[in-house]
Amino acid sequence: MRINDRVFGMLMLILAVVYGWEATKFPIPFGGHESVGPETFPIMLSLILGISSIYLIVRPDPDEKWAPVAMLIELSVVVLSMLAFAWAIEPLGFMPAAALVVSFLSWRMGASIAKSLITGVTSSVVIFFLFNNVLELALPLGLLEF
Amino acid sequence: MDTMSLLMQGFSVALTPESIMFAVIGAILGTLIGALPGLGPANGVAILIPLAFSLGLSPTSSLILLTSVYAGAMYGGRISSILLNIPGDEPAMMTCLDGYPMALKGKAAEALAISAIASFIGSLIATIGLVILAPILAKFALKFGPAEYFALFALAFATLGGITGKNQFKTLMAAAIGLMIATVGIDISTGVQRFTYNTLELFEGVDFIIAIVGLFAISELLFFLERHAGDGLKQVAINKLKLTPKDIIKVLPASFRGAVLGFVAGVLPGAGASLGSFISYTLEKRVSDKDGTFGKGDPRGVAAPEAGNNGAASGALVPMLTLGVPGSGTTAVLLAMLISLNISPGPMLFQQNADLVWGVIAAMFVGNLVLLLLNIPMVGIFVKLLSIPPKYLMPVVTLIASVGIYSVSHSALDLYFMVGFGVLGYIFRKIDIPLVPIILGMLLGPEMEKSLRHALVLSDGDWMALFNSGLSIGLWSVAVLGLVLPVIVGPIVRAKMRKSKEAVKDV
Repeated sequence: MRINDRVFGMLMLILAVVYGWEATKFPIPFGGHESVGPETFPIMLSLILGISSIYLIVRPDPDEKWAPVAMLIELSVVVLSMLAFAWAIEPLGFMPAAALVVSFLSWRMGASIAKSLITGVTSSVVIFFLFNNVLELALPLGLLEF
Repeated sequence: MDTMSLLMQGFSVALTPESIMFAVIGAILGTLIGALPGLGPANGVAILIPLAFSLGLSPTSSLILLTSVYAGAMYGGRISSILLNIPGDEPAMMTCLDGYPMALKGKAAEALAISAIASFIGSLIATIGLVILAPILAKFALKFGPAEYFALFALAFATLGGITGKNQFKTLMAAAIGLMIATVGIDISTGVQRFTYNTLELFEGVDFIIAIVGLFAISELLFFLERHAGDGLKQVAINKLKLTPKDIIKVLPASFRGAVLGFVAGVLPGAGASLGSFISYTLEKRVSDKDGTFGKGDPRGVAAPEAGNNGAASGALVPMLTLGVPGSGTTAVLLAMLISLNISPGPMLFQQNADLVWGVIAAMFVGNLVLLLLNIPMVGIFVKLLSIPPKYLMPVVTLIASVGIYSVSHSALDLYFMVGFGVLGYIFRKIDIPLVPIILGMLLGPEMEKSLRHALVLSDGDWMALFNSGLSIGLWSVAVLGLVLPVIVGPIVRAKMRKSKEAVKDV
C-alpha cells in the first residue's frame, strides 16, 4: 500500500497553494514596492513544497504500518491527558496535575497501578521542590495554596 | 599569533569553579541521556534548553552545560550498544558490531573501558582540529556576502539528508515546512503581518524550542507507547574490569585513525557522525583485520567507530560555530540555544564573542577529561540507571520537559503547542518525513530570508546576483551534488551498513 504518502502529499499540496495564495495578498508595505517584498520568500517556499508534494503523490514510498485503531484511540487518550495537564496546571496546581498525568502515563506504559501512583506522586513532589526551592522557579501551587 | 593566547584565555573561563561544575553536571546528564535507548542526544539537549533558559544561566554557562551534555551523550550511546546491542543513537550503531560480541564473551567491562578511551581520543583530536580549523574558516567566511550566505543555507538543507538520506523530496518538503513556520509572525524588515490571522500569540512567531521539544520528546513518548516498549530490554551482565596497558596500546592506532576520519566526516556537510563511525570501522577492518576477528568482538572494532563518532561530533561544531550552519540534528539544537541567547553564530562570533567561543572550546577539553574519569570507574552506576524500565522513566522525562517549557513564559498555551507539535512529529515520523530539516528551517528561516533580501536589494532586483561570484556558484554546485548524490550512493552505503549489522546477528 502506498496511501500514506499520497494523502500526505495532497494535504501538503493544498497547504502550498493556500499558503502561496495568502502570500500574494499581503498588504503592500509602507514605503511602496521593493524588489523583494514580504511575499517573495513565502512564494518560493510554496513552490518548493508544491513540487515536492506532487512528487510524493506521483511516486509514493511504501507505507509504514499505522497502529491498529485501538492503539490510535489509546494514543489520543494519552495526548488528551497531556492537554488536560496543561490546562490543569494553574487551577489545580502543579503537584496534583503532574502526579495524575505521570501516574496515568506510567500506567498506560504497562506499570502496575500501585507502582505508577508511586512514580507519579514522588516525581511530582520531588520536581516541585527541586524547582521551587533549589532552582527558584515558581510553579503554581493551585489547590494546595492556603 | 593569537589562537594559543585566545585558547589560554578560554581556559581561564573554563577553569572557574562554576564552569567546571556545569561541565560535570552536563557530562553526567549527557551520559545518561545518551545511554537511554530512544532518548538520543538531540532529544536530551532539547529538553534541557528551556531549563537552562529559565534558570537565567549566563550564555557561557549554558553553552558549557549543553556542549558537555552533547559530548556526554556521544559517550553514553556506546553503553547501550555494547550491553543491549541497541544503539542509543544512530552513530553508535557501528559500535554494536564488535562491542556486543565482546560483551557476550564476558568482556563487557573491557569493551566499555576501551570505548571510553577511544571516545576520549576521538573528542580530544577533533577538539584540537576544531581549534586549528575554526578560526581559519571563520576568517574565510568573512568574505561571504548575502548571496553566498543564501547559497550556504540552501547547501545546508540540501546536504542535511546526508549521504544516507532516503527520499530527497521528503527532506526538501520538511525544510519547506520548517521555513514556512518561520515566516509566521511580523515580518522583520517591513512590519507586515504574515499568517498571523490577527492572533496576538502568533505575532512573535512560533517558538522553535517548543517545537523542538514537541517534535522530538513528545513524539518519542507516543512511539514508546505504541511499541509497548515500557518494560525495557534484557542486558548483558557486566564483569570485573581486567585491562592491561598492553590492551590499551593495542587499540591506540585504531583510535587515532578513527578520530581523524571522524573529524573530517563531521566537518564536511552532509556526512555527520553516522558516516564518521561507519567509515572509521570499515577502514579499520581493512587495515587491521588480518585474522578475521572483526565482528566477533575485536577491541579494535570497538575503538575505531567510537573514536570516529566522537570525532565527528566535535567536528560538526566547526560549521555550526563558524558559519552558523549546523550539519546534524543535535548541532541544530545547539544552534537553537545560541539563537535564543541572542548570540548569532557565524564568522562574527569569533570576533564579537571571542571569550564565549574560546571558553566553550576550552570547556570541551575539560568536559572530555571529566567524561573519561567519570566513565571508567562509574560505568556501573550508569548501567544501573539504564536498567530502570522506560515505563517509569519516560513519563518523568516528559514531565521535566513540560516543566521546562512552562517555566519559560508561564503559559499553558505553550504546553498546548508542545503537545500539538508532538502529534505532528508522530505523524511526520510515520510518513518518514525527517524532523531535523523542519527544525533547521525554523531556525534558519529569518536569516535566510534576510540574506535573500540583501542580495536582491544590492543587485536592484536582479536574481542572477545569487549566482554571481565563483564562491556562490561553488556552494550551489555542492548543494546540487548533495541532493543528487544520495540518490545514487545512498542505497549502496545503506545496504552495506545493514549487511555488516546482520552479519553480527548470526554470530
